[in-house]
Amino acid sequence: MVVYSFYIFDRHTECVYVKSWMPPQVPGTPAPVLSTGSDNAKLIFGTVFSLRNMVRKLGGDDDAFISYRTGQYKLHFYETPANLRFVMITDTGSASMRNVLHQIYINLWVEYVVKNPLAPVEHKGGAGVNNELFELGLDQFIRGLM
Amino acid sequence: MAASKASRIGEEIWKTRIDKVNAELVTLTYGTIVAQLCKDFEDDYPEVNRQLDKMGYNIGLRLIEDYLAKSNTMKRCSNFRETADMISRVGFKIFLNITPQVTNWTADNNSFSLVFDENPFADFVELPDDGRAQNELWYSNILCGVLRGALEMVQMQVEAHFISDVLRGNDTTEMRVTLIRYIDDELPPEDD
Amino acid sequence: MSYYFAIVGTQDNPLFEYEFGTSKQGGDGQSRFTEQVRHLNQFILHSSLDIAEEVQWSHGQIGRGLTGGGSRNGRYLKCIDKFFNNYISCFVTGGNVKFLLLHQPTTPTSTASSRSSTAIGANPTSPATEEAIKMFFMEVYDNWVKAIMNPFYKANMEVRSPIFRARVAAAGRKYL
Repeated sequence: MVVYSFYIFDRHTECVYVKSWMPPQVPGTPAPVLSTGSDNAKLIFGTVFSLRNMVRKLGGDDDAFISYRTGQYKLHFYETPANLRFVMITDTGSASMRNVLHQIYINLWVEYVVKNPLAPVEHKGGAGVNNELFELGLDQFIRGLM
Repeated sequence: MAASKASRIGEEIWKTRIDKVNAELVTLTYGTIVAQLCKDFEDDYPEVNRQLDKMGYNIGLRLIEDYLAKSNTMKRCSNFRETADMISRVGFKIFLNITPQVTNWTADNNSFSLVFDENPFADFVELPDDGRAQNELWYSNILCGVLRGALEMVQMQVEAHFISDVLRGNDTTEMRVTLIRYIDDELPPEDD
Repeated sequence: MSYYFAIVGTQDNPLFEYEFGTSKQGGDGQSRFTEQVRHLNQFILHSSLDIAEEVQWSHGQIGRGLTGGGSRNGRYLKCIDKFFNNYISCFVTGGNVKFLLLHQPTTPTSTASSRSSTAIGANPTSPATEEAIKMFFMEVYDNWVKAIMNPFYKANMEVRSPIFRARVAAAGRKYL
């Protein structure tokens, strides 16, 4: 399993965290070009937001949008009741990452970012998430999966 | 979710997932904050109430995440009555080990009271006898702010205030919580 | 038996005072100080502070309750002073606040002496009296700690809490 990139969006729809784990280019296979530029973040948010709304409309308020798959990648989505949205893009073969995203939320986000008393509550431009423990923990956790 | 189930969840989390801290440490720390605010604002009690509420609000914005992470209930409450039960039986239970009674609902189910039979913040406390504190200071006002902040994060705008306090000589300690509106999802800014 | 109880802070400043009488043996809890001596009580009590300090430091081990009277870091120094018919018992808290109790046995009249000899305080230095006063001090100490845990109380400030006063009164009724 390969994780390509990871995004967090706050309740103000702002992208507060981006990280990518680009695999080394294997000669001969065209790696999916999934850059993590800010335009992409916006695009991804627009997509998951629409999909989530559509899912709720069709499946009822309790239904949740979990993932979608293309020929190149799979996108996983997880939203907390406080409207924090976690998005992870992996290779197409990976299983559901819902639990992984939940773990990232409770074990990394809450523990290191929310509970850091000096970090702001809202992270305009991702300022407050510039957090070494979170960074390290996330990297370790993701690499452990791969 | 039934109230009894909420109680069970609260009890379970309290027993297994909460780091405990000495109650007197909490009481004295909170007491010191209130006393210091009274000093800093020269016994302007309405201002102290406001400051406490503001501090609580900032706590609430964060505390809700801890609540969600610990309670593992990743589902929204289906109505405000359920929210009230969760506040009392899970929220207050896991953070303060108390379960205030949820009571005095209005007919439209948008407003209820939390009656505190015990209040760990108020142990040992006697309000200053300057003739004003008894009428003006809401000693535990931080709790109102906490609820306001926490509920705002899960898209409920509420108004919370105390209407009685045993410290003032009232028979009960009662907080009134009123739902003003459910906050809509924020939409991403339009791209031009 | 009449009692005058005072709490003296670390700067030898008075923090609290309360006057009461015995409730044992059918006492009505009223003090029987005459007007002439009432105002002297404060002087008598405070003049014994020097002795209290002497006793307190002479044992060397402060706050360890080695005199057998204390516990929880408070020390019971028993009866430390006597001024005519006034006896002073003292208790020092771990924070060096002194509880002083002046007890004045009713002057035994010839007819009442045989009956009142069994009463607590008839003999101010008897073990029974010492024990009763100790119990009184311990209960006041418990409540004292609660009173000074009030966040609005500052160190060495006069204690005006009516609740504390009521609890001291209750302790007096219970043991003395």
